[in-house]
Amino acid sequence: MIVCPNCRHNNMNGAMFCSECGAHLMTTDNLVTQNIAPDQQDMEEDISIRPVTGVHRVAGSKLDTWGTLHLLETGQMLPLSDRNEFTLGRISDGQPIMPDIDLSPYHAYANGVSRLHAVVKRRDEQIILMDLGSSNGTYLNGKRIPPNMEQFLRHGDVAMLGKLKIQILLKPA
Amino acid sequence: MPAKAVDYYTILGVLRDASLEEIKRAYFEAAQRLHPDKNKAPGETELFLDIQQAYETLSNPKRRAQYDATLPAQEPASALIQHHIYFSRGNLVRLAEPQLLYALIEVAPREKDTIPAPPLNVALVLDRSTSMQGGKMDMVKAAAIQLLRSLRPEDILSVVAFSDKAEVIIPAAFQRDRAKMESHIQMMQTGGATEIFHGLEAGLGEVRRSLDPSRVNHIILLTDGHTYGDEAACLDLAARAAAENIGVSGMGIGSDWNDIFLDALASRTGGNSAYIAQPKDIQRILTEKFKALANTFADEVSLSYTPQDGVKLNYAFRIQPEGGPVSLENPLKLGPILQDVPLNTLLEFIVEPSALKGDALTVLNGLMKVSIASRAQPIPPIRVPLTRAINTEAASEPPPTKILSALSRLTLYRLQEKARNEADAGRIDSATRHLKNLAAHLLSQGEQSLARTALLEADSLERTRAWGAERSKEIKYRTRALLLSGAKENQK
Repeated sequence: MIVCPNCRHNNMNGAMFCSECGAHLMTTDNLVTQNIAPDQQDMEEDISIRPVTGVHRVAGSKLDTWGTLHLLETGQMLPLSDRNEFTLGRISDGQPIMPDIDLSPYHAYANGVSRLHAVVKRRDEQIILMDLGSSNGTYLNGKRIPPNMEQFLRHGDVAMLGKLKIQILLKPA
Repeated sequence: MPAKAVDYYTILGVLRDASLEEIKRAYFEAAQRLHPDKNKAPGETELFLDIQQAYETLSNPKRRAQYDATLPAQEPASALIQHHIYFSRGNLVRLAEPQLLYALIEVAPREKDTIPAPPLNVALVLDRSTSMQGGKMDMVKAAAIQLLRSLRPEDILSVVAFSDKAEVIIPAAFQRDRAKMESHIQMMQTGGATEIFHGLEAGLGEVRRSLDPSRVNHIILLTDGHTYGDEAACLDLAARAAAENIGVSGMGIGSDWNDIFLDALASRTGGNSAYIAQPKDIQRILTEKFKALANTFADEVSLSYTPQDGVKLNYAFRIQPEGGPVSLENPLKLGPILQDVPLNTLLEFIVEPSALKGDALTVLNGLMKVSIASRAQPIPPIRVPLTRAINTEAASEPPPTKILSALSRLTLYRLQEKARNEADAGRIDSATRHLKNLAAHLLSQGEQSLARTALLEADSLERTRAWGAERSKEIKYRTRALLLSGAKENQK
């Protein structure tokens, strides 16, 4: 018997996804296949859904980098490039689909980051932060922002996902 | 005995070690199909005589032994088809509780472009009941005329219109006077109720008229309504069509048709059902269907098997081409192989502890038959034993990406299916919970608009306590389409 870590449903041994909530029940490294190639409609909506490896991308590459996430505690810089929208969260066992940027290497769990916590996106020249209904909330410059409401970001703003502090560095327009 | 290119076993479509019983069955099946009283295509009588001769030799143990001695020792590997099986886990685990095992069967031509795509023999069965009036009928007419114009000279298209009775608008024959046929289509009038059986029966009649194993024989049903009281008869007819290697596909326009029924109908033959949301999409979807038919490599792959004690085949789904449920019958009608799209089918097995004897378990001992229309000679069946070792511990290697990716998407489809079953059983809370889970997964896969639809449906389900016909179809067929896009991505 495998107990789903997400919904506690009892699945049969050998199950790979929870039959009740669809959560992934096995830990594997190769989950890249979860991404779906963009079709025409998605392109029109300007939602790029190609696989993202923002975490691994070398800063300063030739790509169109429009912003950088600066993790204040650990000092890492995560460039935002190649697409206009990034969901932030953490990957955990039993999660079938992952956020674009996985913050778990930066103590996301200990800091109370939800699996799908918030989204950073670029629209026209505006950079936007939106909480996705996370458990512990998202704070912008110390003030909690309501879920599912877009907030404009300025260069140097500090966002807090749960207790994980991230400074947003933007490319000068 | 004259040396023949094809041996008797191949002619009958059985393996070298086939039992007398199997040989008899294969002979009767083939004889029924190719009997001189029934066959139409040139060359079939000769095929029938070959079968006759093969049976006479193989049914007699003494003559069979003599014949066997003349054959090369090795059973030839299939030169035309290759298949590959992916398992969800390296081995089965010795457990005191039931366990799941998944297998993905992929069947593809060994080499591309070796066998030309066969000509078509297609009947278009069109619903002309009152509800089709207006835009829908106009679009259907336009689409039918477009198809007629795009036919290759060797293709045969017949058109049947039905309401509570059926009439043949264009009989199955080589199309000569196209202007006249187009005007026949233009003159179709709407009126009457929907009785799908009449339409299918007339369509089957037309396909049979030029039934030819060297063609892709297929019936395409286009409807926008529920049929009344003749579901069982329709399913029977589909089973009969399947026995003659005639495929059936169903296409539903709008929201007021029974997708479960069309799926059941089509899956009897290895075909699929499609959802046409808007009348303007009729032409596009019909044209796609025709393209797929015209691009066929093998029109049907079926898998017969001997059931294994303690193992239950619990679910079967064709991932591509044309994703759709595979009905759990024996033989399984897996579906077609296209020239450029292999056939991928995912099977789910429940293995009971009682089956775990010895070191290994064959969960399914299958025999795969592939019917390649443009080849006169049948190809030898392919043995497909799905066997896993039994160990005390689970293997540590991760499952192949292909099966993982297919399963992750099939999980979404099954969540949708489950939500619907729960709603039908009156468990609204459970149904909405499944829909919301589905929406969450869709959202994180970037399928914003479909996720929105799922949430809207969950919402309306909570309020009205009834399953919405339109949104539910959208969710069903679009999660199905995701499976296909995933498979394509994997192929690259």
